[in-house]
Amino acid sequence: MNRRRVVAEAKLLLVGIPVAIWTLLPIYHLFLFSISTKNEAFSGKLWPDHPTLNNFGTVFRQEHYFLNHFWQQLGNSLLIAVAAGALTLFVATTAAFSISRIKARGGRLVLNLALFTYFIPAAFLAVPMYKAMGTYGLLNSQWALILAMVTIAAPYSIWVLKQASDKLPYELDEAARIDGASPLQLFRLVYLPLMTPSLVAVGTYALLLAWNEYLYAFLLLSRDTDITLPVALGHFLSADDSPWELLMTTGLIYALPPAAIYYAFKRYMVGGLTSGAVKA
Amino acid sequence: MASVAFSDIEKSFGSTKVIHGIGFDIADGEFMVLVGPSGCGKSTLLRMLAGLEEITGGTISIDGKVVNDVDSKDRDIAMVFQSYALYPHMTVRDNMGFSLKLRKAAAGVITERVTRAAQILNLEPYLDRFPRELSGGQRQRVAMGRAIVRDPKVFLFDEPLSNLDAKLRVQMRAEIKALHQRLKTTTVYVTHDQIEAMTMADRIVVMHDGRIEQIGRPLDLYDRPDNLFVAQFIGSPAMNIVNGTLRRTAGSAYVEAEGGTRWPLAGAAGTDGQQVALGVRPEHLVLAGEGGHAVPGDVVVVEPTGAETELLIQVGGAQVTLVTSGRPMVDPGARVGLAIEPGMAHVFDKATGQRLAA
Repeated sequence: MNRRRVVAEAKLLLVGIPVAIWTLLPIYHLFLFSISTKNEAFSGKLWPDHPTLNNFGTVFRQEHYFLNHFWQQLGNSLLIAVAAGALTLFVATTAAFSISRIKARGGRLVLNLALFTYFIPAAFLAVPMYKAMGTYGLLNSQWALILAMVTIAAPYSIWVLKQASDKLPYELDEAARIDGASPLQLFRLVYLPLMTPSLVAVGTYALLLAWNEYLYAFLLLSRDTDITLPVALGHFLSADDSPWELLMTTGLIYALPPAAIYYAFKRYMVGGLTSGAVKA
Repeated sequence: MASVAFSDIEKSFGSTKVIHGIGFDIADGEFMVLVGPSGCGKSTLLRMLAGLEEITGGTISIDGKVVNDVDSKDRDIAMVFQSYALYPHMTVRDNMGFSLKLRKAAAGVITERVTRAAQILNLEPYLDRFPRELSGGQRQRVAMGRAIVRDPKVFLFDEPLSNLDAKLRVQMRAEIKALHQRLKTTTVYVTHDQIEAMTMADRIVVMHDGRIEQIGRPLDLYDRPDNLFVAQFIGSPAMNIVNGTLRRTAGSAYVEAEGGTRWPLAGAAGTDGQQVALGVRPEHLVLAGEGGHAVPGDVVVVEPTGAETELLIQVGGAQVTLVTSGRPMVDPGARVGLAIEPGMAHVFDKATGQRLAA
């Protein structure tokens, strides 16, 4: 290594190390709490004197007032995330197909209108959304949250899929038409297989968005047996004497599935979510 | 097998008219090539026949049945695209069998027809590969295989060889021609390459700016172009064109070019003083001794290719190309005399570009 490369490397490390610490420290903190006893949690040590997995047992066995519905709420999160992911995928794929491939009249307008909703922060739309769901009689129904998440995830998903499908050569559609494919056959036999990487990326995106949602879940759902785990975690803070070690343990457990999903699909994620953002 | 008829076909994109009333017939089993420079409307015409483009006016018939409002898939045609348009996620076998599968053909029938097409095209070793694992020439053959399997009434080719390198292009040209001779399916083939048109076609339609310039057999177009456009488009190296004035004197006629050079003509039509373009193919110019009626010129470049020698010669204000199968002993700068082989001069009206009957 010559001098210049050493300097360049040093500069990178100088930036990289603080960023890494900045990112990893909270996660380490989370982990530290989860293996500490209640008394040791705030001791300020870098490693507890008596590391323990008891917290996990307490959570899994639902042995705390705040955790009475842990499995139910985890299940709610899963159901809502999967439903929102699947529904978003369906809406976005069919929309992208008709805008990009069938070139339906007004398709671009619809896409632009959908993207326009992002000009207003989702938090501002929370109250109108609450009212709308109330009008439809969906408050306290998990459908309310699922539909809200689809509404938030769909415009971006449509845009990503439209960009990706614009890249498929149009001759493929023409060849399929001459070969005798109906639009639905074209969609099923040619379009979907070729869009798989983007579909995985978009589906995962919507799924994780719903999995991590707090505000809308908090507003739209209220029964303990209906809410998702992030809302339940929020309830921890309402006590004077919050069980921080259990809060952090549950948080750590909740963070594992997204990490696993991201790891499994990261090949698609990076390529899929940025495809179409720049001209390749 | 089928005949195809275009009748008064018009096409507009928005307010831009790109095809202006075209009509011609293609006989059953004929290999018809549509040729012309890019933007002349040849691909649009083919796509209208394929049902991929709306027809603004006129009718297209296949086998006597008007197909204007018939869906692509019901026209019983197969098309080979310039980009091949193979389905990337299917094997060669599935690509070729796709249309039959959509038509719910029995598995046995699909296997049999795919296998037969693969035999014809030497694709048997590649049936289980994906398109990305094939070379350009092999992909081209798969695209043709996909067309053959259908056993359609008409084959459509849209510049199928443009993406191949020169050597492969020559090879595939011969393969497509051999395929047509074997299957005798009516074929419409679009290209901008006049050599492809000349070598493959039974008949050629030369198009320019959405109109037909001339229809005919390749050698007829070559020997007797109707107008200046066809004269210059067909043939390589291109026909020499000399602009000048037609002069008639008692018993003889000549074209007086700019700069005073006189090109003698034997029995040309046209009137004295008419502005004309004189066309002579490079191989119809011969070196003659200086003096007499020979046209004097100065050799600029000598290009021997072995079989032939090409000479670029400055004649007055114009440069002309001469091709000879001999190996003339001339050097650049040498003064030579030129003559046109008897009966091989083409005279066009300068204003209309039309051939003067002779």
